[in-house]
Amino acid sequence: MKKYTVINTPIHNIDGIAKVTGRAEYAFDIKLPHMLYGKILRSPYPHAKILKINTKKAEGLTGVKAVVTGKDTLGKKQGIWRRFKELCDEEILARSRVRYIGEPVAAVAAVDEDTAEEALDLIEVKYEPLQAVFEPLEAIKEGAPQLHEHAERNINVTRHIEWGDVDEGFKKADYIREDWFRCSSQHHVCMETHNAVASFTHDKKLTVWTSTQSHYYIQVLLSWILGMRENDVRVISRYTGGGFGSKFELDSAQFCSSLLSMKLFKPVKITLTREEEFMATKRRTPMFYYLRTGVKKDGTFIAKEGRVFTEGGAYTSMGATALYLTGFFQAFPYVWPSYRYDGYRVYTNTAPTSAMRGFGAPQATFCAETQIDLIANDLGIDPIEIRRKNAMYPGYEVPGQATIQSCGLSQCLDKVEKWIKSRKKLPPNRGIGIAAYGFMSGGIFNWFDTPYAFSSAVIQINIDGKVDLYIGSQDMGQGSNTTMAMICAEELGVQVEDIRLHMGDTENCPVDLGAWGSRETLMQGNAVKMAAAKAKQQIIEYAAAKLSPNIVYDLDIKDRWVHLIARPERGLSYYDVVKEAIRGKDGLPIIARGHYTPHRKGMISPAYSFGVQAVEAEVDPDTGKITLKNCVTAHDCGQVINPIGVEGQLEGAMAMAAGYGFTEDLPMDEGKILNPNLVDYKVLRATEMPETKVIEVETYEPEGPFGAKEAGEGLTNPTAGALGNAVFHATGLSIKNLPITPEKILEALKEKKRKKKK
Amino acid sequence: MIRDFVYSKAKTVKETLDLLKEFKENNKIICGGQSLLILMRQGLVAPANLIDIKSIEELSYINFKPKIGLKIGAATTHSEIEKSSIIKKHYSVLIDMEKNLASNQTRNWGTIGGNLAHADPAGDPGPVFIALNAAVKMANKERERTIPLEEFFIDYFETVLEDGELLLEVQLPVVPPKTATVYEKFNIIKNDQGIVSVAASITLDEKGSSCRDVRIVLGAAASIPIRAKKAEKLLIGQKLNNGLLEKIGKKASKEADPVADIHATEEYRRYLVEALTKRMVRKAWEQAKTQAR
Amino acid sequence: MEKQLLRITVNNETHELYVKPKRLLVEVLRDELELTGTKRGCNTGACCVCTVLLNGVPVKSCSILAMQADGTEVTTVEGLAEGGKLSPIQRSFLDHGAYQCGFCTSGMLISATALMEKNKNPTKKQIREAIHGNICRCTGYNSIIRAIKAVAEGKYKEEG
Repeated sequence: MKKYTVINTPIHNIDGIAKVTGRAEYAFDIKLPHMLYGKILRSPYPHAKILKINTKKAEGLTGVKAVVTGKDTLGKKQGIWRRFKELCDEEILARSRVRYIGEPVAAVAAVDEDTAEEALDLIEVKYEPLQAVFEPLEAIKEGAPQLHEHAERNINVTRHIEWGDVDEGFKKADYIREDWFRCSSQHHVCMETHNAVASFTHDKKLTVWTSTQSHYYIQVLLSWILGMRENDVRVISRYTGGGFGSKFELDSAQFCSSLLSMKLFKPVKITLTREEEFMATKRRTPMFYYLRTGVKKDGTFIAKEGRVFTEGGAYTSMGATALYLTGFFQAFPYVWPSYRYDGYRVYTNTAPTSAMRGFGAPQATFCAETQIDLIANDLGIDPIEIRRKNAMYPGYEVPGQATIQSCGLSQCLDKVEKWIKSRKKLPPNRGIGIAAYGFMSGGIFNWFDTPYAFSSAVIQINIDGKVDLYIGSQDMGQGSNTTMAMICAEELGVQVEDIRLHMGDTENCPVDLGAWGSRETLMQGNAVKMAAAKAKQQIIEYAAAKLSPNIVYDLDIKDRWVHLIARPERGLSYYDVVKEAIRGKDGLPIIARGHYTPHRKGMISPAYSFGVQAVEAEVDPDTGKITLKNCVTAHDCGQVINPIGVEGQLEGAMAMAAGYGFTEDLPMDEGKILNPNLVDYKVLRATEMPETKVIEVETYEPEGPFGAKEAGEGLTNPTAGALGNAVFHATGLSIKNLPITPEKILEALKEKKRKKKK
Repeated sequence: MIRDFVYSKAKTVKETLDLLKEFKENNKIICGGQSLLILMRQGLVAPANLIDIKSIEELSYINFKPKIGLKIGAATTHSEIEKSSIIKKHYSVLIDMEKNLASNQTRNWGTIGGNLAHADPAGDPGPVFIALNAAVKMANKERERTIPLEEFFIDYFETVLEDGELLLEVQLPVVPPKTATVYEKFNIIKNDQGIVSVAASITLDEKGSSCRDVRIVLGAAASIPIRAKKAEKLLIGQKLNNGLLEKIGKKASKEADPVADIHATEEYRRYLVEALTKRMVRKAWEQAKTQAR
Repeated sequence: MEKQLLRITVNNETHELYVKPKRLLVEVLRDELELTGTKRGCNTGACCVCTVLLNGVPVKSCSILAMQADGTEVTTVEGLAEGGKLSPIQRSFLDHGAYQCGFCTSGMLISATALMEKNKNPTKKQIREAIHGNICRCTGYNSIIRAIKAVAEGKYKEEG
């Protein structure tokens, strides 16, 4: 196990002091002189034509400064899948047609929020309601209402993944199981709702403060939809109060506040209410899953076939990626000799479904791991054993898709097995369930069609040794700021206190694609490491000149000490060398650049994290209520960079994933979300969270900085499956319809009794 | 958004009753406001006049007299009830109920009077106080009246309080010997309002072998907290056994009138009423047996 | 609508303001007094992100009219560090990484501070119950529990 000076040590998060003293300024807090407040009028219909909008009365209300509608836009349809024009299907501010309840139709700017809200009631919109369709399996039928002209039978995108000969495989299988599942939606519930302050000034430049996971994407999308030059738009996001996948697409707050500001030449702030957040921002993709799996009687996996229909909602959004990834991760983390997946994303008149932590993998893992336990049970094989038998291993190639380099899955299985054995005999009504996962460590896909390196970093070292580190990555709470500072400090040979971080501002920062797809540690980290290495090289050159050692010696910097590696006592203080180096460069600070773009690293990701989670749950036989008792996770994220950060991320992921498993849901009635508030939408609180144990399995990932991989999104994958399996082992009931509620358990119990009677 | 209103801070009950009469129907009382402000923010309630009674000291008290019982002022907070040693001694089920009610923060500012006047059928205090045989005292400028809490609730979010009338006090009689009162609600997240809830109070005879009195109160199972009187009748004069318990549970389930919503179907709510009733009746029975005298 | 006089002491500073009666305490703190450390997360009094101390007791500032806080003493997150020194709870949060995006942190710190005033050595269960109202979407709560427990165990005795 390598010992490092900075990484893998428990340091304070570099934003910590600002956050614990209430000084961190979020876009939510931004207040500018002469700032106006905006509100958005949203469609009450799931599907309708907009016939006419009359804004006169609203404009006449005292305190109202401007009203905008689709007529005030360039009528462009945008989307993140810029490479595929037909998938750029969302106007944001609808011009002639609305396709989900909550779709923006107009926006108002006024002297205060209450006046803006009052003005909304005065906007007269004449709709012609159209027939609507809400379920993908209904929307795909002949004769169903068509949402988009180009999408026959409302099929938005399809995906196909295949290797080996699945039909041959089934012939060879000793045992075949078929199961159907329904995976629910889920909401991100960021504590900071979507918001933006847009300020358009007379020099025709636009500045937007917003809560985002990618200021670069927002800059590009906003400039595109507004018809502006990309770099005449500046996006600032120093602190983001949660993202989880909800904040890297252009949203209504950003777009509408920009439109209003462009009309008024004054700053306009729009903050979404919690209700708007639930109703009209994007959410996890609900999926209808069919899995057919063939195995040998000793549990060896032979063939798997998956067919999935996803509820797309009204627009493509990021749903196409979720469709692919669910199919891709359905085969993780095991060796499948043959595999076939067909996925269909279907437009429906509901709020668009998009990216949420896990991005299709939690759904895949729930279905896969539930079925594996059922197969193991049918064949009388131990759940750990069947997984161990088929586990991925270092060097395995997923045919045509990916190369697994580092993989600590087997060790994770061993650790979890050890814990399970230590539990001995469980009290009545309790069960332990496990689930294994593998996840990407930096999504490679460039559907955004960026011309830039995926991630860049710039370093400047000043006369006092302070290092300015410019990065494009976005910290939304996952701790990337601290991770980057640590990687920089470790590589450069200084301490984190020597780093001054610059991020969250398109005007000052190099491009990074943003905090999604678990890419920051690996991609931004590699870029930072490269820049730091180049800066270090410049310092070392000066030190070598000064020390004049025998040519066989080489130098390094550790803990601010520039020294001969073989003779560490011979060296110079980093601070002294920097002073001389700058003088030696005609007074120029030391500057270096780094960048990272994955070339020839497969279709999905350069590296994969792995893990196994065990959940111990108790089921009340009288009511069906589930109580989480214990949760143990062994995970492999390569080299841990920020240990306090990793533990926090894993626990947070578990809480969110457990919610997906048994408490969170977005029930709808004719396209209307029925629980758009935090009373009726149930997230886990401190009292529901069990004690958790996190076991690190250390591996070394050659693709990652210092061998590091992601930790934080992968862990959202296993909990629903592990929980479901715990319920299975406690009660004998397998619930294949998320969330696993007490009522479903009791229904299943009744069904079981009924079958027994027969 | 909250609509503008004229704000009056009352210092005494008399001042409040005067203001209530002055503002007639166009007013609302705010005390803790933990329920009211949410309604006002959503525009569901928009009074022209708001009368703030939070600082009326004469409405905030917990008084116990051994021969009379307990009197709680309407402006007493949930936290004050939760922390009261006198309530812990004599009516400990109230402590259990308060500990599981909403959040710390809500309990620190919200009041018992506000909760009862809000009349949410899923509220916790209603069923528990009814099980304890509570009465409530109200007054307007002309008169004062005291009625059993059971008669206080009329419908969803509706009570017998008339225009100009203020809820003053909750009164609990002395607990008879060999009596236990218990309460449980079913929820997914701890301290959330119950999907259903059941309060049960059982008084045994001197020998402790048969039931002299019983009150089974169902919460979130109808438009108001209701007593499962038919189920109660089954237990009067009887000794509890498994067979009887089953019958009581089933009867209570039939007496419930639950709705279906996103949290549960009607069927599941009835099922929970049965399960919780059985649990609470058994628990109250066991506890009553250990009570002194 | 006529504004009314509000006298309120926040973080040991007394203010006299004229506010519309419908203003919520959280609005006055954030807008009039520019103490933006206290955040808002919902409209239904469910998330407790807006928690402040009012006369020493944690309450939701979104669910109290500013006028109801007339004559009271309020402490917000900005008032926890005295004389530039972080409080034991703040220091423990830093050491344990008991925050991630930070948006719920202000309310969480207030709840934790209030707990430690009331109960010098709470159990983990009591800690969970004390912060039950505060929703955190990032941490899964356990790092917060650890941070508070460490203060309870005396690891952050005030320096002399």
